[in-house]
Amino acid sequence: MALKTLIIDAQKCIGCRSCESYCALKHENVCNPAKGRIHVVKWEQEAIFVPINCMRCEVPACELACPKHATYRNYRTGALEVDANRCIGCLSCVFECPFGATFVDPLDGRVLKCDLCDGDPTCVKVCPTNAITYEEISKEAYIKLTQNADRIPLLVKKALGEG
Amino acid sequence: MYGWVGNILKVDLSQGNISTEPTEPYVEDYIGGRGLGVRLIYDHYRPGTDAFDPSNPLIFNMGPLTGTALSGSGRVDVTALSPMSQLRAKSNFGAYWGPEVKFAGYDHIVIQGKAEKPCYLWIKDGTVEIRVASHLWGKDTYETQKLIQQELGDPEIKVVCIGPAGERLVRSACIITETGDAAGRTGMGAVMGSKNLKAIAVRASGGVQVAKPHEFLELSIQINNEIRKHPAYQELSQWGVSRGVQMMYQMGFFPVGYFEDVCWDELLQKYSAPDYIQKNQLKNMGCFCCPNRCMNFISVPHIGKGLTSCEPFSGFTGAVWNLDMDVFWEATLLVNKLGIDCTETSAAIGLLMELYHDKIITAADTDGIPMERGSKEAILGTIHKIANREGYGDLLAEGQKAFAEKIGPEALEKVDLVKGLSPHAYEFRAFKGTGLMQAIGHRGDPLPLRGSLLEVDWHHANDWFQQVAKEQFGDEKAAVPTSYQGKARSAVISEHMERVADNIGVCKWLFGLFIYQDADMAAKVFQLVTGKDWGLGHLMKASERVRNLERMFDVRQGLRRKDDSLPKKFFEQPLTAGPYKGEVLDREKFEQMKDEYYQIRGWDKETGIPTREKLSELNLTGVADEVLGQA
Repeated sequence: MALKTLIIDAQKCIGCRSCESYCALKHENVCNPAKGRIHVVKWEQEAIFVPINCMRCEVPACELACPKHATYRNYRTGALEVDANRCIGCLSCVFECPFGATFVDPLDGRVLKCDLCDGDPTCVKVCPTNAITYEEISKEAYIKLTQNADRIPLLVKKALGEG
Repeated sequence: MYGWVGNILKVDLSQGNISTEPTEPYVEDYIGGRGLGVRLIYDHYRPGTDAFDPSNPLIFNMGPLTGTALSGSGRVDVTALSPMSQLRAKSNFGAYWGPEVKFAGYDHIVIQGKAEKPCYLWIKDGTVEIRVASHLWGKDTYETQKLIQQELGDPEIKVVCIGPAGERLVRSACIITETGDAAGRTGMGAVMGSKNLKAIAVRASGGVQVAKPHEFLELSIQINNEIRKHPAYQELSQWGVSRGVQMMYQMGFFPVGYFEDVCWDELLQKYSAPDYIQKNQLKNMGCFCCPNRCMNFISVPHIGKGLTSCEPFSGFTGAVWNLDMDVFWEATLLVNKLGIDCTETSAAIGLLMELYHDKIITAADTDGIPMERGSKEAILGTIHKIANREGYGDLLAEGQKAFAEKIGPEALEKVDLVKGLSPHAYEFRAFKGTGLMQAIGHRGDPLPLRGSLLEVDWHHANDWFQQVAKEQFGDEKAAVPTSYQGKARSAVISEHMERVADNIGVCKWLFGLFIYQDADMAAKVFQLVTGKDWGLGHLMKASERVRNLERMFDVRQGLRRKDDSLPKKFFEQPLTAGPYKGEVLDREKFEQMKDEYYQIRGWDKETGIPTREKLSELNLTGVADEVLGQA
């Protein structure tokens, strides 16, 4: 099956924090958004909201930084997961992540990493505006490619003065 | 405990004392949220105390479900003695502050005393600090929130605060969080101001424990998905209430002006809120974990950005004869930033316009501003004057009645208040049940209730909603607006249903009015979260207890049957236009509805006071002894 990933469209996000809350309930059995594997950064006076989640990098800084090889890729889902038995809690992965998308449990210091709910992400089910969707990677890349290519004929026409 | 986080936080601003009390002993009888808050105010308020006396307790009430991963779980109830009515105040707001307080470990916050100098409360997880707020005094509600976040170095701090109006003890001052979520009614901002308390800031990393997390997660996702498929969601999450308001005007449910005529042709033709939304709305937004985005985030160059819902869409349009949506938006932002209640303010402006129209006042009575119907200057000028207590605004800040008294008996005659508050701007002449619910309600403005909305829904499909009324309230006629029949029972059941949502800390719009139109779903999630086996019956009984205790608080303040009424114009001036032309409330039939209501409630018909038998049945014997005298 084609590999899927979470696609986040921050423009659609309304900052309701459903993703954080349901994520924590699913993984930690408690209603505490601070334990979510996704986090929404909010500028409420501007209505700008940015959900931050693991980007599942091809060359993951978190995996490379881990001195105990506790971070590993789940090749079935593409998620980067943390083996709690190996993790020594040094937080290298947290600080190395260029997106700030590796989180820490504020109460016990455990590393919190999105595991894509094993291929059935809870946040996607409850996001009211479809700001978070779960898509095939190749399809998303193809959409981006066509969107980009779409601009070329227009530019050509403009250059020829046919705009 | 599951659901409840276990502690009631108590702050004495005079002494600087901070303490806690366990929540658990109260929960079986009062559940939490509004209900438990009623018990707290009944116990903490000393009869005879003025609303601005330091000992008047200001109480914030979160419910067991507030802060859970559930649609509509962002609600908070606020109570105190109201400076507007001298009765029990009640206001409810959403957004993100309530959940954060739960995460900090508190179900309720009781604030008493008065700080020597302006201060704000800083709650960081389990620690509570009273901090200096001199530098925040005078700032509007937007600035205050930003400055506190900057000062404490964390943009995720959630803040409730008052604006300049609350500082100046404008009696209708409100409490604001984010850019437009308000504990709007009954003057809670003024009580906060009287304590020299500018804001309460919270940041926490705790959580709410759930008894049955797997089942709860499953049901909660199902609720989220059901809501998103519901027609009411489709409407609210795209338009907010902007199109609904237009419909209400056409239906004759919303009055124009100061309850003048139901039908203002120009308004029906030119009401342009939906267009305005389409043009200027950045996003639809809602509260914590809620997919139902009933609020509009509007951004207009040169006016500003912010959120609004509900009341301003009629308050700053029809109620003040205004069709200019820029004026609507400027007025809405102003009241939110200065921190005064939109409903009371627009009604006060409506009154001025009526007095001016009838030549009872002239521009000389309003600092040279002519109170022409719909005048931009009159609308915006009056908001500034009230919030800053300048000129005539100083009197209006004391209330519509105080202003009218100064003008004279003719003006006083015009004032339409119920229990010291502007009634909800609904047309009570035609909608009899709505009129009853307004009159007997626990505060001057208890609406909307399910039974009242049923009278609106009825227009869409008469037979269907009569059938709904029969099933829900035992009488088909309960849905028919102009009928007096079945309305008393509909009022009683609606009041109990509303309290189920308010007590457990969820949104009554979702769990009781628009999506789930009874309390069944609320009861179901309550059990999964708290692990208590208390079913709907237990929750409804608790609601009845809460309703009776609310009543007894007000009875202790002197409230009697005669106060359960409406302004006399609703009985004396039939509607001259609109779909309900000719309708007026029949005094005798209205009083019969009240008789019926008291009878169902087990209250004394002569006085409107709950009987000892009823109070004993509800485990309120101590209250009966105190207020009714020893048996």
